[in-house]
Amino acid sequence: MDEIENKETVASTHKIGIYLWIWGLLFVLSFFSYMVDWFAFQGLLRWTLILIFMFLKAGLIMAFFMHLFWERYALVNVLLWPMTAIACFIGLMAAEAKYTVFTRLLYFITGG
Amino acid sequence: MSDVKIEGYELKPGFKGMATDTGSDQTMFKGVQWGKVMMWIFLLSDTFVFSCFLISYMKGRASTVVDWPNTSEVFSLHVGSTPVPLLLIAIMTFVLITSSGTMALAVKYGYEKNRKMCGWLILATAIGGLTFVGMQVFEWSKLIHEGVRPWENPFGAKQFGSYFFMITGFHGFHVSIGVIFLFIFARKVFKGDFDNGKRGFFTTMKSDYVAIEILGLYWHFVDLVWVFIFAFFYLW
Amino acid sequence: MSDEYNQQNTPLEAQSSETMSGSSGTPSKDIDYVRPAEIPEQDLYHGHSFITKWVFCQDAKVIGIQYFLTAVFTGIVGLILSWLMRLQLGYPDLVPFITAEHYYQFVTMHGMIMVVYFLTALFLGGFGNYLIPLMVGARDMVFPYVNMVSFWMFFIAVCVLMASFFVPGGPTGAGWTLYPPQAILPGTPGSNMGITLMLISLSLFVIGFTMGGLNYIITILQARTRGMTLMRMPLTIWGIFTATALAMLAFPALLVSCIMMTLDKMLGTSFFMPAILQAGEVLSYGGGSPVLFQHLFWFFGHPEVYIVALPAFGIVSDLISVHARKNIFGYRMMVWAIVGIGALSFFVWAHHMYVSGMNPWFGFFFATTTLIIAVPTALKVYNWIITLFRANIRMNTVMLFCLGFIVTFVNGGITGIFLGNVAVDIPLSDTYFVIAHFHMVMGIAPLMVIMGAVYHWFPLVTGRMLSEKLGKWHFWFTFLGAYSIYFPMHYLGFIGVPRRYFEMYDSPYVTSATGMNEFITIAALIVGFSQLIFIYNIVTSLKIGKPAGKNPWKANSLEWLTPDVPPTHGNWGEKLPVIHRWPYDFNVPGAKEDFITQTTPPSEVINAEVEKT
Repeated sequence: MDEIENKETVASTHKIGIYLWIWGLLFVLSFFSYMVDWFAFQGLLRWTLILIFMFLKAGLIMAFFMHLFWERYALVNVLLWPMTAIACFIGLMAAEAKYTVFTRLLYFITGG
Repeated sequence: MSDVKIEGYELKPGFKGMATDTGSDQTMFKGVQWGKVMMWIFLLSDTFVFSCFLISYMKGRASTVVDWPNTSEVFSLHVGSTPVPLLLIAIMTFVLITSSGTMALAVKYGYEKNRKMCGWLILATAIGGLTFVGMQVFEWSKLIHEGVRPWENPFGAKQFGSYFFMITGFHGFHVSIGVIFLFIFARKVFKGDFDNGKRGFFTTMKSDYVAIEILGLYWHFVDLVWVFIFAFFYLW
Repeated sequence: MSDEYNQQNTPLEAQSSETMSGSSGTPSKDIDYVRPAEIPEQDLYHGHSFITKWVFCQDAKVIGIQYFLTAVFTGIVGLILSWLMRLQLGYPDLVPFITAEHYYQFVTMHGMIMVVYFLTALFLGGFGNYLIPLMVGARDMVFPYVNMVSFWMFFIAVCVLMASFFVPGGPTGAGWTLYPPQAILPGTPGSNMGITLMLISLSLFVIGFTMGGLNYIITILQARTRGMTLMRMPLTIWGIFTATALAMLAFPALLVSCIMMTLDKMLGTSFFMPAILQAGEVLSYGGGSPVLFQHLFWFFGHPEVYIVALPAFGIVSDLISVHARKNIFGYRMMVWAIVGIGALSFFVWAHHMYVSGMNPWFGFFFATTTLIIAVPTALKVYNWIITLFRANIRMNTVMLFCLGFIVTFVNGGITGIFLGNVAVDIPLSDTYFVIAHFHMVMGIAPLMVIMGAVYHWFPLVTGRMLSEKLGKWHFWFTFLGAYSIYFPMHYLGFIGVPRRYFEMYDSPYVTSATGMNEFITIAALIVGFSQLIFIYNIVTSLKIGKPAGKNPWKANSLEWLTPDVPPTHGNWGEKLPVIHRWPYDFNVPGAKEDFITQTTPPSEVINAEVEKT
């Protein structure tokens, strides 16, 4: 481990500026997210804005605070490709929820 | 950290580099210590846990025939007589993002062997985490006082309380574990354990500043989960 | 037009197109050159007391044996439960102790034990721990302490599970799939403490296997020895590695569903519980979705069955190539097939839910993906068979078990195609056809591999050979017996005999299925008892077995090349091995012997026509 440690100290760490910039950006995005609720946007606009700000914040944290921007592609790809299974699960469960509420309305409200 | 050098091996950038790294001998992740890979893969697994929680929440909320409570109202705090929607949550988000920032700086100073800055920043992160947990406890007690239970609540669909307590509970549990480790690591940094390579109590493995980066990854993950919970549970 | 034929591409010589671009950073005239080590050697913790050497031991080999023995113990419990079930099915009124409640409890515990606590723990914890460091050339796992803790978590999980036999109400009788709302409501056996302990045990199991899984993955990805590329690893490692990756990503769904069901039971939440009447009384539950549990459970459950199958695929490939003295045909495609099956396994889960009342359109999606996943699986079967074609087959016990695996797996795989299609699944769902299918693919086939693997690696672990004579008796009893059990079961399924039924009640099956059920029961009891031959073989060979010496099977892979047999702590003695080739250089034209070990440098086999791997 000594060799790696020496490499670490000799290798450059990032300037403090970049962390402060990202920190600031995260605050700005959080503020925008909060504004979505303050202005009481509804429906598709609300959800789209929420998702955009959420993914931007998540992306900034992963890329810069968790250093993925500087990591080699092997690590980044190993971490990101499994999200496709999650995305599939999300999509299918959204469809399942729609079907569930449909059957509930059909049988409980209209009596089937 | 960012410029790895391996003797006898040419590091290629981009996807070509990924192919070469994967096809090479000994390691797939060049220059990445075992502990760091362990934390990343553990976080990948934990991501699936929280994803399953949030997917279940999505399914539960989308299929309810009883109205879901209005989160703006339920989670508002009264300043004087005016209700400010999501005020507590906004403060909690602010605190957690700040603690993430202090943690990132702590990692940087750790690698620069600046023990004082590193230690104080880890402590600041721990205080931020503790504040977050405190506010979460306050929020829980406020809602419980208003009649929200895991099995029912006066505001709307039963599942609201169930998912709320379960998801924020699991997140808060993760934050608490992180806070404990942050305090332990702050102490180790101040004592100089990472410079000496002192062996840890449990694992008897030598200490190294990469451990702070590893703890940082965990802490940023906790912040990341909060970003998703904030968006899906409180805002949506 | 040139008549020149490139003389280097003679038909006899297979040319691998892989270039070692990663390792040829510096041009060198030395053909034996292998890149230097990237990281310094790990320092291991050596225990000195009995407790730190045999109980809380950090040596992966000891941990592997601990997993193996614990898993086998649970497997024996599962086996006994299966006998009790078969007794009831074959001779319904023979044993008054077996009531309907008890029967469902046996069904549930047998299933959960066999799938999770026996097979998963055995393949990943048992074989994984022992073989991974040896086969990749590491001294131990990357986190020996966490590895040790992971075993004891598994042990505690087993204790909690076994405790559920002794609590009031007994263990849960909800079926290994634990579907709500029945699982937590009275009327289902064990709906009080039984189900709670089961859920706790599963949660502990998941936590323990996450710890273990981290070790296996990181050791394979980051702790290989010099010269060991991913494409030079034995297929055993590829199978176990992919299975571990699946475990890391699938167990979370199980954990989440267990937590939510525990909350439904303990706190009265309604995650899965719909509005429900119980004996005329309206319960306080409402608004929950039972199908959500099924989706979560099978999102875990389908990768789980591949977690059991993939190590078996990998191990059998190695067993076949060693005992047929031939390289595995199409190694690269075998690797891609394993990885492809692993990746696809996350997109097929709801083929277990065709009749659940889920969104009807899902059948299209999942039947399609299920049939797609059959393609790489079939490819592997073809490659095993082609490997055996014109090979120098040693018809010993290990090879017999490999052949038994191929036969039973093909059988089970084909019935899987039946079930993967929605329309065909509807009449076959929840019948004995399903039971026959999954026992063939998950019970018999991986079990054949496990037994073959024990005969194969016993000489390494103990330094002694198992008796071939006893082994052959064991094989024929097991193989023919298992076929006698499960082949007729397909017919029971065709005529519609339902699964998880305590008895045939007043149905047409009472007369038509009785004889068949009796036959299957007798076969099951015979096969079960014939495992005593195996146990006797193991126990006696430990003392009087023929000393094996080094590498008795003349294999190529690293685990046989340790300086000491059995390998000691640290595995390799003074110097780590250096790898120059893949583990499948058998019967290479021009070589001195019919095998070339992985550590043999190119300068020693300069006249042989080796694959460029």
